[in-house]
Amino acid sequence: MSLLIKTHLKLARISIKENRTRSFLTCLGIAIGVASIILILSLMGSISRLVSNQVKNIGADLIVVRPSTNKDAMSGIISELTASSSYQKSNLAVSDVPVIKEIEKVSAVAPIALSTRSVSTEKNTMDSVTVLGTTTDFNVIQPLAMRYGSFIDDTNENKTAVVGHTLALQLFNTTNPVGKTLTMMGNRFIVMGVLSEVEESINFNNVDFDNTIIVNIKTLEQMGVSEQIQQINIKAANTDSLAEVSNNIRERLKEKKSGDVNFTVLYGDEITHPAGSLFTIVSGMLTLVAAISLVVGGIGVMNIMLVSVAERTHEIGIRKAVGASGQNILLQFLFEALILSLLGGLMGLILGYILAFFVSIVTPFAPYISLQILLVTFGTALLVGVIFGIYPALKAASKNPIESLKHYR
Amino acid sequence: MNDTVIELKGLTKRYGYGDTESFALKDFDLTVKRGEFVMIMGPSGCGKTTLLNIIGLLDRATSGEYKLNGENAANISAARQARLRAKKIGFIFQNYNLIEDLPVIENVALPLVYTRTPRVARLKQASQALAHFHLQEREYYLPSQLSGGQQQRVAIARAIVADPEIILADEPTGNLDSRSSHIVMEELKAIHEEGNTIIMVTHNPALTTYATRVINMLDGQIDTDIKTVADHKLPKPVEARSKKRKGRSR
Repeated sequence: MSLLIKTHLKLARISIKENRTRSFLTCLGIAIGVASIILILSLMGSISRLVSNQVKNIGADLIVVRPSTNKDAMSGIISELTASSSYQKSNLAVSDVPVIKEIEKVSAVAPIALSTRSVSTEKNTMDSVTVLGTTTDFNVIQPLAMRYGSFIDDTNENKTAVVGHTLALQLFNTTNPVGKTLTMMGNRFIVMGVLSEVEESINFNNVDFDNTIIVNIKTLEQMGVSEQIQQINIKAANTDSLAEVSNNIRERLKEKKSGDVNFTVLYGDEITHPAGSLFTIVSGMLTLVAAISLVVGGIGVMNIMLVSVAERTHEIGIRKAVGASGQNILLQFLFEALILSLLGGLMGLILGYILAFFVSIVTPFAPYISLQILLVTFGTALLVGVIFGIYPALKAASKNPIESLKHYR
Repeated sequence: MNDTVIELKGLTKRYGYGDTESFALKDFDLTVKRGEFVMIMGPSGCGKTTLLNIIGLLDRATSGEYKLNGENAANISAARQARLRAKKIGFIFQNYNLIEDLPVIENVALPLVYTRTPRVARLKQASQALAHFHLQEREYYLPSQLSGGQQQRVAIARAIVADPEIILADEPTGNLDSRSSHIVMEELKAIHEEGNTIIMVTHNPALTTYATRVINMLDGQIDTDIKTVADHKLPKPVEARSKKRKGRSR
């Protein structure tokens, strides 16, 4: 068998070499499909790597509670697109925080309550500024580097706020506005700290810290503002009991919500999975486009193989007459199709990473290479080769030798 | 030793049904012994080529028996027929039927690809076969660079390279001038004298002098069947070759 495979490979090489332009164009069709898949995988991989690096930096003892929607994925995406979900109330509440805090082996709990407010200072007024309401535990779980001043605390009686690096400049025209006041929701807040510039804008909190005001959630409660909780971050006392602790959290919250499990408890790698449904939509669409171009490329392979089979009908007749079985002929043409699509896959791999490199120039997403991506690429290329090569190969194999011998180019 | 190479009994090949029904072969019986050089003649459409295609396992009879070397060859799978074609049958065609893209030596080695002979052994055997026909200097020529007579000799080399039981030739001199045609016939005569069995279809009555048996066909049946050489005088296979053959059949 290996003997014949070698022969088939050699024949395929000869045939592809003889029709160089044609083969190159066919490969290009596959290459474009594969390149777009590579680009998408590289982007997704690089985004999850950014987030997972962050989780690693924070520590492996992180548990996250997120509200879950009861809708299936598709309608979730639709409602996200139509923006109706922004009016939907999150299932998590500030009152969940003390419940979790009581659980054994939980060392810190911080809610993430995001809202958008108008903010004004002496100098500027800005609409739609992201305001993050949380507790002092936030800094225990994920210490944020402070450029000036300090993080929010519980002892201060005044209403205090911490401002992101970029936002500080925009609101106060200075990098150090500590001690100055800003007004939002009709209340004056004293700026007690400014965050250092955050290098990576993507994180598991879904917060762009450079453009955020952080306030104590207690202050917000005192003001009578009811906030929605998007996420609860929890730090476990040690890394060994993550499963146990997260299970306890699930049970306790379920109890508190009288049996409703409308939330998910995540830890470890689960957190890093990009959760934003926009991300899902975009990558889903891109994958679809890539799949379509792969199918088009595959049709190209099939087309060229059909031409090749027709051109070589006489040769097929001769081969059959001297003892080739249908299977021999089938394999010969299938190998040719496979090699065409594998070459296309290889070209696509290179093309994809060139594109990923260009993307990395304008975005923070570095090209991401992994064995998985390589396997997916070659798997896909092989699959396309088999799917679109089998019909021409079958056609070649089923040719009648007597008719084929009469056939001339 | 079994001297019968081919045994056909009641072989019928029918085309069409009802009013369009016609018979290329009708109840055809034929026995060919080892070492015979059978020449089949007859008018166009008498079933000569159909007969050759059926013997060569390129076509199947509608009904009837076909034994090749004592083995049933009629009702076996296409894959097994292909294997038999590779090992036991050598074809020579009127239009040579060489693969244009492959050098001469690869063309000759082609049947050995399908008997799974390793590449080096394949090329060595092909080279020997070419030397046999004084073409060893043309091994890496493409078929289109050779004359018709040379191409046909390449085709004969390809037909004998796998040491088949029987060589089938369909008008091998049909495309050649008389000089080339003479050379080709001399080559066929030479391989016949080495003990090969040949069945050849021709239109040219002058060539019957080479044959040991001449069959005239008419309307799918044997019209006349004349043996010019007695059975016991047929050339015996060369010792080495018969040994090789026995070894393989075991």
